[in-house]
Amino acid sequence: MPDSVLLWTRVTPTPESLPGSGAGPDVSVRWEVSADSAFTKVAARGTASTGPGRDHTVKVIAGRLAPGTSYWYRFIFGQEISPAGRTRTAPAAGAPVDRLKFGVVSCANWQAGYFSSYRHLAARGDLDAVLHLGDYLYEYGPGEYQARDVLVRPHEPAHEMTQLAHYRRRHAQYKTDTDLQALHAAAPFIVTWDDHESANDAWKSGAENHTEGAEGAWSARFAAARQAYAEWMPVRYEPGGQIYRRLDFGSLASLSMLDLRSYRDQQAANGTDAAVTDPARTITGAAQMDWLLGNLKSTGPQWKLVGNPVMIAPVRVPSTLSTAELAGVQKLMGGTSISGVPYNVDQWDGYEADRNRVVRHLRDNALKDTVFLTGDIHSGWACDIPADPASYPATGDSVATELVCTSVTSDNLDDILNVPPRTGSVAVENAIKAANPHVKYLDFDSHGYSVLDVTAAGVRMDWYVLAERTSASSGSTLSTSFNVQAGTGKVTPAQGGLQ
Amino acid sequence: MSQSPQQRTPASNIPSTPGRRQFLKFAAAGGAAVVLSSAQGTAWAAPAAGRTRSYVLVVDGCRPDEITATLTPRLAGLRAASTNFPAARSLPVMETIPNHVMMMTGVRPERSGVPANAIFDRAEGVVRDLDRSTDLHFPTLLDRLQERGLTTGSVLSKKYLYGIFGTRASYRWEPQPLLPVTGHAPDAATMDALLAMVGGPDPDFVFTNLGDIDRVGHSDLTGTTLRAAREAALADTDVQVGRFIDHLKSTGKWDTSMVMVLADHSMDWSIPTNVVSVDLILQSRPELQSNITIAQNGGADLLYWTGPEAERTDGLAAVGQLVAAHDGVLSVNRPADLRLGVEAGDLVAYCRAGWRFSDPYVVSNPIPGNHGHPATEPIPFFISGGSPLVVPGTVSSEPARTADVAPTIGTIYGLKAPAGGYDGTSRSSALRL
Repeated sequence: MPDSVLLWTRVTPTPESLPGSGAGPDVSVRWEVSADSAFTKVAARGTASTGPGRDHTVKVIAGRLAPGTSYWYRFIFGQEISPAGRTRTAPAAGAPVDRLKFGVVSCANWQAGYFSSYRHLAARGDLDAVLHLGDYLYEYGPGEYQARDVLVRPHEPAHEMTQLAHYRRRHAQYKTDTDLQALHAAAPFIVTWDDHESANDAWKSGAENHTEGAEGAWSARFAAARQAYAEWMPVRYEPGGQIYRRLDFGSLASLSMLDLRSYRDQQAANGTDAAVTDPARTITGAAQMDWLLGNLKSTGPQWKLVGNPVMIAPVRVPSTLSTAELAGVQKLMGGTSISGVPYNVDQWDGYEADRNRVVRHLRDNALKDTVFLTGDIHSGWACDIPADPASYPATGDSVATELVCTSVTSDNLDDILNVPPRTGSVAVENAIKAANPHVKYLDFDSHGYSVLDVTAAGVRMDWYVLAERTSASSGSTLSTSFNVQAGTGKVTPAQGGLQ
Repeated sequence: MSQSPQQRTPASNIPSTPGRRQFLKFAAAGGAAVVLSSAQGTAWAAPAAGRTRSYVLVVDGCRPDEITATLTPRLAGLRAASTNFPAARSLPVMETIPNHVMMMTGVRPERSGVPANAIFDRAEGVVRDLDRSTDLHFPTLLDRLQERGLTTGSVLSKKYLYGIFGTRASYRWEPQPLLPVTGHAPDAATMDALLAMVGGPDPDFVFTNLGDIDRVGHSDLTGTTLRAAREAALADTDVQVGRFIDHLKSTGKWDTSMVMVLADHSMDWSIPTNVVSVDLILQSRPELQSNITIAQNGGADLLYWTGPEAERTDGLAAVGQLVAAHDGVLSVNRPADLRLGVEAGDLVAYCRAGWRFSDPYVVSNPIPGNHGHPATEPIPFFISGGSPLVVPGTVSSEPARTADVAPTIGTIYGLKAPAGGYDGTSRSSALRL
């Protein structure tokens, strides 16, 4: 926000006040926000209370701050002073902004490797914020989902999380990662959840990875997941509220962060299920759709960024792939197929009426500069969003663009096919790009992170890839870059990127 | 540079002074003559040195994505060296006359009296174009700058634009030759006139409309040759713009010139089956049909209640509901919500992208290229030129609009806002003041 920031920490007042324990006293924690890292220019300070009711997590809204300004913050409990974190207020409403730079990440499975992506982002020192598009943590137990068949780091608790104490302990485990700590300390996070914050392929009344009864009631499990999320994540969301929200960055950009799990109808059975096109089914819910379309308008900030947990660009998988390739793509994209050809009913592809609402709105109103920023699919993509997929190959008409960051660690195609990176997947990528001409870039193998650079002239995403996700000290290199030039609604290779 | 034809523009004589106008004939490209007019008593001598010249070039109906380095290299080059506003848009109703009026007045139609190309004139009982000088009720840059001792010019390719701006500029070109069907002068002739004006009386400010790109969008009824014809028009208009820039440079005027390039609206193409006829929609309700008069504006229909006053509210509600239910209709709006005045009638219907209105009959509008609806709002809008006032090579997020032209030009000359202020915004971020 232009005048406030959210500060987060957790305090352990007594040895028994362990995450998920429900034990320990209510306590007060002091906080300070300063214009300098030495805390000689304190701009705001106060006291916050917490206790076992919120797992001793502390969330503070520090207000009356100056817009577009970097601040440092710290917490004080008794004689203990926390390490300082850096944060930044958004620019004033309508103010000119030359440039914004965001880290963009998703899909960080503790068991599949190390969070080197977070460390590299933290080291940059040039980020206005980090966008986390979901799957900040995973629900599985050891042995269920890891790095191919290798368990790099076991989850705690050592079983699937289904109850409040489990979710709290798992959040707490992730927060012990020093790379994640470094990134939280380096830049403010703007987060939304996808499915693994609760359970795989969650929808409003259930999830693929939820067994009603044996794992309790979905309503109770979903509520527990949300409560732990609200406690443990630096987000203004509180249970009973809504996490979808819009943030503005002066006249340059708005950012609509979506919630595609709380209001969606159950996934269709497969790609030919009539439910896919049923106008009564929704991925956003009616209220969120109205809100989203209202944010995509010709007045207000130039760039309309959308934090979009699952892909909106249509993706058709060609049936010409080998059986093994099809099986691999199916495992990556989701669990449904017709005659062996996968179709991701968990993405917007499974909710075509809602996607059509968005596309028609953009086309009918000739809205420019809408960019969907997406995670979930453990692969890097740069796509146009066709006005009409059937005529796109001839016309090239595109209403928006989609830039998809890959996974921080979670398995992707080479892992599933059990082949070295950039070998067996390349033919699959080429076949998918040929069948989907609006897909201009696809990397099914790499793990890493993206950096989004936003100026009035264009939006550019740089994809950085890790050398080895299972190495705690992995380096990263720039893989490719794509531009969206203002007014065009199309992705093009950036200088230095793929040609 | 080599595209610029050999040209001489000496003042030859003052042949006649019929009415309150005086005329001056200039030699133009290919031996043709360009006749400019002015108010009687206006000096033809070139103004003082050291001033800033400013030019507004309207590439009528050009979509921002049609300006490319390969198809329109001169425009693309100008844009690259400009302050560019990629978020720029046309304003309701996205038609030629109202947006040119917004450019020159800086105010919305509710204050200028000019909401659309075609309206139903209740006093005269006819649907007609707003092409009379008396239709425009607000002072324009063309006359207001003269009050500050500056000179202005209008070089407008379309007959109806010349009509509505009339004799407001110090120097005017009356468009000719006019092509049949389209009622506009080709860009080559328009550019001859602009060069004659800049080479002759050399006004401080000139307002120019280049109509070819738009007219190609309208004139191909079959649509089969549309893309090729459109690209040919874009390429040719680009050549004409190049002639202008070359002229400024070769005459040493570039260094004191600001050149603002924009469109009044863009263009959207529909197939013959995607036609909305409000008259047809109302056929099932004769009591409504007989009480509604329609002024068709391509992608927008202006609906006027002409029935008994007592039935107006319920009648308009019913009409609005019926029209909005059509697949091709995007929205039905109250004119006041679009900042249109009473001239716009009682309801304004917009079509969706890829559709058009055709009223009063389904065959009334056979042309595939239309505008007036929101799909045709995005426009190119950039401020270039050799003047040190111009900030080059910059892209701005600011939401530029057609109504911003008058306040921006006004800023250059220290012109005060008109009574009641501008509705547009001076894009002074493009200027070093």
